[in-house]
Amino acid sequence: MIKEFFISLVHYFVDITTAVLIAAAIYLTASGQQMDSIILWEILLSGFITALPTAILLCLDTKGVKTSLILWGTHFFLIFCITLLLLKMFGWCRITPLSALLSFLAVIFIYVFTGSVHYLIDRKHTTLMNQQLRKRYEKKDQTEKKTS
Amino acid sequence: MRIIIEAPQPGDEDVVIVRCSSPDQRLISMLLSFRTANTELTGYLDEKIARLDYRDVYYFEANENRVFAYCNSDVYEVKYKLYELEELFSPLDFVRCSKSMIVNMEKIEYLSPLFSGKLEAHLKNGEKIVISRQYVHSLKVKLGIEEVE
Repeated sequence: MIKEFFISLVHYFVDITTAVLIAAAIYLTASGQQMDSIILWEILLSGFITALPTAILLCLDTKGVKTSLILWGTHFFLIFCITLLLLKMFGWCRITPLSALLSFLAVIFIYVFTGSVHYLIDRKHTTLMNQQLRKRYEKKDQTEKKTS
Repeated sequence: MRIIIEAPQPGDEDVVIVRCSSPDQRLISMLLSFRTANTELTGYLDEKIARLDYRDVYYFEANENRVFAYCNSDVYEVKYKLYELEELFSPLDFVRCSKSMIVNMEKIEYLSPLFSGKLEAHLKNGEKIVISRQYVHSLKVKLGIEEVE
């Protein structure tokens, strides 16, 4: 359980930080602002802080679709609030309805990005697992044929 | 290989001793099958009591302090704790897939990923069950993709 938590924390920290870097790069290029070196540390810290609730959520063994949806909804809301708090704390931008909407879209982007990365990795793993399952069945069929 | 059957001393319990240089997988599987074959697995369905063959069970699920064995169409209650069933059947093709479920790998048709980071097992009877992230490793070990830590 603890090991699983730390693995999830590291994975999501890397994914979220990459997504935040992409979002920051797009924003800075579009706005024409210069980047201060401190922003890199702020991005790393924000990646870690947002990866924490994600790792905790993934360690919870939920039963049922409804509970999962409630948890993921709560998680999304929490991440959105943390993002707004970090924006204000780091002074990246002032909290206005527009910046809140942009943050909301950024959180959706990070969600889709990290979700897609993990989905693709899991798809690769399940393909391998399905191959192993098929091998098992083929082996079993051959054994049954021999015995009959 | 010679097979020797000896009567135990009076008062001693029956014991199986295997004397070999290195026990292979076939021998271990045979011994485990023997132990499991001796295990009573009685299923209760309303007034009906049935002897269940573990090979017919798709999965075991714990629900409100009761444990159920899901077969092709019927669901039987079994008087075992989930951890007891795990101990009993994990040497065979059963693997824990969530806090409340143990699945028979022989009944998995295929696996697919979910966007939430979990996996979905499509069973041969058309049912779908969710495999939690925490238990994916044990499934991979069973399939020989990863090694036991």
